[in-house]
Amino acid sequence: MFKALSDPTRRRVLQLLRERPMTAGELSDQFSVSKPTMSAHFSVLQEAGLIEAEKSGRMIIYRLKMSVLEDALLGFVQTLGSRMKARTRLAANRGVKRRRLKEA
Amino acid sequence: MIPQSVSHAVAPALVVLGAVLAAANWYLQPQRSTAWAASLLLLGGLAVALLVARRLTSNPARRGAADSIRSGVVFAGSIMAISLGAKLATTLGGGQGADLSTRASMVVIGAFFMFTGNALPKTLTPLAALKCDPARVQAFQRLSGWIWVITGLGYAVAWLALPLDLAKPVSLALLMSGMLVIVGQIVRLRWL
Repeated sequence: MFKALSDPTRRRVLQLLRERPMTAGELSDQFSVSKPTMSAHFSVLQEAGLIEAEKSGRMIIYRLKMSVLEDALLGFVQTLGSRMKARTRLAANRGVKRRRLKEA
Repeated sequence: MIPQSVSHAVAPALVVLGAVLAAANWYLQPQRSTAWAASLLLLGGLAVALLVARRLTSNPARRGAADSIRSGVVFAGSIMAISLGAKLATTLGGGQGADLSTRASMVVIGAFFMFTGNALPKTLTPLAALKCDPARVQAFQRLSGWIWVITGLGYAVAWLALPLDLAKPVSLALLMSGMLVIVGQIVRLRWL
């Protein structure tokens, strides 16, 4: 499960599925990655038991299948991930400013 | 749900422990034989449930049902073993046995609410069988799960930390408010 939650794309998929069940196409449209890559992400999430796929005609509909504990863990990882992202961005900005000051 | 390996080992152990404690209580207090006989009868029922679960395990399609039965036996067995153990301790001279027994049993009940609530959003109905908007059903299941987990946690903490005469109304109020929120959500989902 931790492997499934470690990837930002997979976390985003789970976040989207929190709103409502979605088809594979609807989910793929939200990302700028190839369909086979998205399919691999779906497989990882399915193996971890976090989502469930259901066939409806020619479409595959994905639904969230997370326990409360897993849901809380996702929220925690997401908060941690966004804070680390913000910190990295801040550090990068400081580096750029320092370089500009040196150049000046 | 309780992890499979844990419930497989713990469930029968709790039933046996409960039977031993009931027999010891019967030996020490023969005048209350009806109560001990009823306890043994209940434990017998749990043993039968375990046998049914064992039969169901052989069928891969019904393994989930078997695990649910085992989890139920773990919780029921824990409550019985704690109560019978505390009764035995009181008989043997432990003064706080009854209080401890009540607290421990209620904490187990709180834990049961938490486990049930935790697993609630994972039980999915096939989309074709749903009569409402799947998004609303999902939102309801998630909310119910969270409410049961928080209610169970509050219930257990109340029985652990508060004085006994305060723990009862507080835990009941928690339970009632949890149920009210869930009923409100059902009404909203069904009619609004």
